[in-house]
Amino acid sequence: MSVQAVEARAPAKAATDAVAQPVESIFIANLRDFRRNRLAVASVAMVGLFALMAIFAPYLAPHDPYASDLFRRLQPPAWLDGGEWAYPMGCDGLGRDILSRAIYGARVSMTIGVAVMMVAAMAGMIAGLAAGYLRGWTDIAISRVVDVLLGFPYLILAIGLMAAMGPGLGNIVLALAIKEWVLPCRVARAETLAAREMEYVEAARALGASRLHIMLREILPNILSPLIVVCTMRMAWIIIMEASLSFLGLGVQPPVPSWGSMVADGRQFLIGAWWVSTLPGVMILLLVLAINLASQGLRDAFDPRMRT
Amino acid sequence: MSPLGVVERLLQLVPVLLGISIVVFFMMALTPGDPVELMLGDARATDEQRQSLRHDMGLDRPMHERFLVFLRNAATGEFGMSFHHRRPVRQVILERLPATIELTLAALVIALVVGIGLGVLAAVRRDSWIDRLSTVTALVGVSMPGFWFGILLILLFAVTLGALPVSGRIGYEGEVPFVTGLLLVDTLVASKFASFFDALRHLLLPAVTLGLAMAALLMRVTRSAMLEALAQDYVTFAEAKGISRARILFRHALKNALIPTVTVAAIETGTLLGGNMIVETVFGWPGLGRLVVEGIFTRNYPLVQAAVLLYAVIYVLLNLCADLLYATLNPRVRS
Amino acid sequence: MRTMGHAIAALAILAPLAAAGAADLRVGYSSDITTLDPANHRSRVTEGLVHNIYDAVITRTDDMKVVPEIAQSFTQIDATTYEAKIRPGIKFQDGSALTAEDVKFTFDRLTKDNAMGGKTSPRASLVGPLADTIVVDPLTVRFKLKNPWPIFPAYLPFNQVVSKAFVEKVGTDGMATQAMGSGPFKLVEWRRGDSIILERFAGYYGGATDIPPAGPARVDRVIFKVIPEAASRVAALLAGEVDLIDELPQHMIKQIEGNPRTQVLKTNGTRSFFIDLNNKKPPFNDARVRQAANLAVNRQLIIDRILSGLAVPLATLISPDSYGYNASLKPYAYDPAKAKALLAEAGYPNGVEVTIDVDNAFKDQAEAVAASMSQAGFKAGVRLWERTALTDLWKDPEKHDRQMQFRSWGDGALDPVGIFVPVLKSKDRGNFSGYSNAEVDALLTAADTETDVAKRSKQYEDAQAIIYKEAPLLYLWLPQDIYGASKRLKSWNPSPRGIVKLHRAAIDG
Repeated sequence: MSVQAVEARAPAKAATDAVAQPVESIFIANLRDFRRNRLAVASVAMVGLFALMAIFAPYLAPHDPYASDLFRRLQPPAWLDGGEWAYPMGCDGLGRDILSRAIYGARVSMTIGVAVMMVAAMAGMIAGLAAGYLRGWTDIAISRVVDVLLGFPYLILAIGLMAAMGPGLGNIVLALAIKEWVLPCRVARAETLAAREMEYVEAARALGASRLHIMLREILPNILSPLIVVCTMRMAWIIIMEASLSFLGLGVQPPVPSWGSMVADGRQFLIGAWWVSTLPGVMILLLVLAINLASQGLRDAFDPRMRT
Repeated sequence: MSPLGVVERLLQLVPVLLGISIVVFFMMALTPGDPVELMLGDARATDEQRQSLRHDMGLDRPMHERFLVFLRNAATGEFGMSFHHRRPVRQVILERLPATIELTLAALVIALVVGIGLGVLAAVRRDSWIDRLSTVTALVGVSMPGFWFGILLILLFAVTLGALPVSGRIGYEGEVPFVTGLLLVDTLVASKFASFFDALRHLLLPAVTLGLAMAALLMRVTRSAMLEALAQDYVTFAEAKGISRARILFRHALKNALIPTVTVAAIETGTLLGGNMIVETVFGWPGLGRLVVEGIFTRNYPLVQAAVLLYAVIYVLLNLCADLLYATLNPRVRS
Repeated sequence: MRTMGHAIAALAILAPLAAAGAADLRVGYSSDITTLDPANHRSRVTEGLVHNIYDAVITRTDDMKVVPEIAQSFTQIDATTYEAKIRPGIKFQDGSALTAEDVKFTFDRLTKDNAMGGKTSPRASLVGPLADTIVVDPLTVRFKLKNPWPIFPAYLPFNQVVSKAFVEKVGTDGMATQAMGSGPFKLVEWRRGDSIILERFAGYYGGATDIPPAGPARVDRVIFKVIPEAASRVAALLAGEVDLIDELPQHMIKQIEGNPRTQVLKTNGTRSFFIDLNNKKPPFNDARVRQAANLAVNRQLIIDRILSGLAVPLATLISPDSYGYNASLKPYAYDPAKAKALLAEAGYPNGVEVTIDVDNAFKDQAEAVAASMSQAGFKAGVRLWERTALTDLWKDPEKHDRQMQFRSWGDGALDPVGIFVPVLKSKDRGNFSGYSNAEVDALLTAADTETDVAKRSKQYEDAQAIIYKEAPLLYLWLPQDIYGASKRLKSWNPSPRGIVKLHRAAIDG
């Protein structure tokens, strides 16, 4: 379910009050607000750390994440009986190093989160701008498509599409992005609708600027903030969705480790070999928590209602 | 919203449902896998037997014809026979729907209680460590894969502590009355209090797993709305008049702050309802979500098509309710 | 909605509740049944449960011998005729007597076109060439076949006997949700997706006399609870919520055995695991590459490590428990050097890249096989598919370029006709490898109608020798079926058929 879906609707209206002011000063003020929120700053740092871990995975991982040794099947973490420090977090059901897989897993999970949001944000932004600025049939057509997708339960659509396309990273991105763009689109449309009546847009129009110029150069910069807030929030949700799809056997292709598939495969060992799913589970918890906190910090800072 | 407005909104439902019909029909039809072969499995069957099964399932017609049949069925609310159950789809779905609704409503209650509670707390102690702690607490439920969180709860509360059951809706000690299909309501109506508490015990873990994921959202909405309400002139005015802080909070600010929370909750109930399947699987909850996922994997076309349309109708109606609710509660909109 | 409410309310009133303190046996079952009608499904899970309500003419012992159940005797009259004498005094759960008319009705319903409310039973193929069922006298029926089919007795236990009067009363639609048979338990309530509650039938005749102890059920109620998630099922057993669970994952055995209140119950399964090799396309159109693949898998290591030792390696795809098993063939031994040599000989001195297609349920086993093969000249990878899509992809070996498919085939009758013929006879229904050998086909065709038991067995054994050498498949293993149970559960053993029939089971305090 889209937990943050509706929260995004609320700031949309309020944020429009702000766009009349000069852009730069708001942005800097927002940033200053954000920096005051220490929890949010710490969260951003945490996300950054995970990103570094993903980038430098080959240097950080002590072992080959794909190397399987059946004699190490379900080997406990180092501090338990039967564990050894060469494999500090133990081994999974195929005797692969859990720590190395978790480090590499950051790549897959973050790639999915970022890729889905990039595709969805671009598509949603363009559709939303077009619908909000051009109005008329464009708006009606796009809004109808949005309504259809909103009424279609998210997970059922994703499962259905994954069943049709088969498991795999690219297909996960596609299956999620197909519905995901709806949210940025709604935000962009609402913001654009408000912005097109603003003085600066009227001025540009009076000066004879083309529609494309007005949409991309005048309106877009002013609606970016709420879009960024929505998209970071949704990224957290996407990472959880990947885990849900893995639970249903529709995750990434083996032997690629994603946190979602590691938790899903490891859940069957929870009684007896808890360490198989615990590390990736905690990784998901930390990353998703950090993204959520960071995005809430952003929202608080960027939402003028919250400024005192 | 005027009655005419409501009718207009209901009419808008038609193109949406048509669109969803197209998407769900072709999504299933284009997914590789032959329901007939799936029904037969490893079984021996002659070509005639295969052909007669295909005919019984209505799959011997060309695709466009099947789509028209499906549309006609959808218009009348009859969706034919569920492939694997060999019973009418409507019957199969209605049997499972109450369990899903009950789970969703229970999750909603938990989300409201936790979300509003933490949201008010966070707003009142804005920017303090209490605010931060409430935020983090509310987010924990949404930051873990639901199936993992659910199994952890089972291991803790059912296996280790032995305090709550692992799976199912109710025990087998007494007969279960049937009025609405919602066990909590039915047991109360029948004054079977032991059964009521039994059902409640079964409901607790799945509802918490599902509800905590939504609590984070409601907490944020409540906190924002509460902060906004606290910044209003009438609060300053009330403070100046020397009205107690608690009275201001709960009589004035909270009353106004709840409007967006309740509205958001109404909309989100639809999303919650369509996202039950994983919790239902982990807790052996006999709901619709699990049935639909099985339906996708077994290429049970009529079942999936009907269920998705049902979800869509509920979603749109809940959105309408949310708008009406918002209009009713918020005097500014009303005037 | 309302009519459903009435139906359930009516059921609840009809069925008196078990007295307090009654012995309940609760089973954590991995999936819900699809119907209660024994003639209207193709599901082993459904059959395994419904068999508690409906008995069959003949059944199988736990070591798979065919013995009479509601029959007193079951004899072959000639090549195409079998006769069953029904035990006198058998009552259906509504008190009416079970007669030869009911048996005839049951089998007519299975075999005749459109006999089930205008539709044909999906189980029709399970009675083979049965042409007619003839009532000789009220307690004698004869089964007349179109042509000789020596395995008729092996397939008869798959079909349970219904009451003619009851079916005519409730109709085929009613049979889906109501049940009334001659078995040890009566249906109390089916809470869809949640549980099936059964209650002891006091007037039960006792079941097959060859499987002691005979007599009515020893528990008052049996409750099948649907718990699809394996981790939750095990949790329910450990929490004492259920007394028996099916499909216990192999790696949980230690935890279940280590717990003082629980035990593990095992039986030899009937499902062979293997990997389809695409015989139509390179590299597996060369028998040497197929043999190399068979030599490249360390079966015993994977069985010991991944399957907790609870499987036997297979020489071909025939179970050692099966009729017609060729005991002289030994499973391919792990020999990476010889595998590499064979590959080089076939023109792949630097190894060959291959991909194993698999669905999520067996991902880890396929990955282990790939890892093993990768140390013996193959560069093996695994590709994950959704189960139904994978079957669809592989169904026509002429039309795809896939190389290997991890798969299994169940053979509940333990007769090669149920596994050898479909998987390896040219163009048969389960032949996805595209294997075609005229000699094998001739042996299998001859065995189909051969009535001399020893001769027929020899034909299968000869055919196995050929497919052993030609290795059209990568033969893997046959795992045991594993159940978890509380120690309160007494005198119940799992059946290789996967039938969870519980009237002999007892439960302590």
